[in-house]
Amino acid sequence: MDNTNHQEHISSYAELFGTWAALILLTFLTVFISVFGGDLHTLTVAMALFIASVKAAVVGFYFMHLKYDKKMYRLMMTVVLSLFTFFLFMVILDYLTR
Amino acid sequence: MNHTFTLPNSGHNFDAKASKLGMWLFLYTELLLFGGLFLVYMVYRYLNQEAFLEASYELNVWMGGINTVILLTSSMTIAMSITALQKGDKKLSVTLQWITIAAALAFLVIKYFEWGAKFEHGLFPGMEHYNSLPVGERLYYYLYFFMTGLHALHVIVGGVFIMVVIKKVENGSVNQKRYSLLENSGLYWHLVDLIWIYLFPLFYLIH
Repeated sequence: MDNTNHQEHISSYAELFGTWAALILLTFLTVFISVFGGDLHTLTVAMALFIASVKAAVVGFYFMHLKYDKKMYRLMMTVVLSLFTFFLFMVILDYLTR
Repeated sequence: MNHTFTLPNSGHNFDAKASKLGMWLFLYTELLLFGGLFLVYMVYRYLNQEAFLEASYELNVWMGGINTVILLTSSMTIAMSITALQKGDKKLSVTLQWITIAAALAFLVIKYFEWGAKFEHGLFPGMEHYNSLPVGERLYYYLYFFMTGLHALHVIVGGVFIMVVIKKVENGSVNQKRYSLLENSGLYWHLVDLIWIYLFPLFYLIH
């Protein structure tokens, strides 16, 4: 059994700060689009969800260290997201075809 | 005869890989829990588009935005505390964890004022004004309180988790060589952040 952590990669402070800066920038962007682009409607919702997903990916890859960890965590994440996408697809199929 | 059962490495049951994998498995179930709620939101929003839009104007974008910035910043500080411990700087690691907890408290205080304003307007499910609203708006507030409430519960749990880790870093059982618990509390905290990243646009920014 493994008695200590064997970490190959240590995230640098600079990288974490850069990640934070990117996330803050994306937050400002999404708020800006929502507040000043109110008449775009569906497009604003799509943009908001798109930006949220980019932010989620940034948090996952850098803060949660998925980028540097073993492939297995990314693989399992893909399985979970596929499962959710399947649920989403089934629900959309149901409600949009009524 | 005295039979004592001893594990192969008694007293040293530390398995970094298994511990992290376990945490991730838990986080996957959390994602599906909130995922289900997002599906509920999607369906009701699709069926009550105008009402959801109308109700969303009641929320304060700036308060939600400030809370987003607070959570993102706390995510950075907890990630940095792991780096600090990995580099052997125990003091900095603990300081960064306290900053994360302070951010959690700030988030909850802002949430308290936000919810308080809704209560004053009688928008909590069951209140008189709430009962007089059209169905779509009632669904919106119901989902708002349930989803942000469940998220706030996660913020509290995350904060307590980090406090436990601080204790363990201070007494040395979580250290430069064994930091799995800190890493796991970080993963949990990032999940809290991750969910808010979706809650914020869906409730505050949809207009």
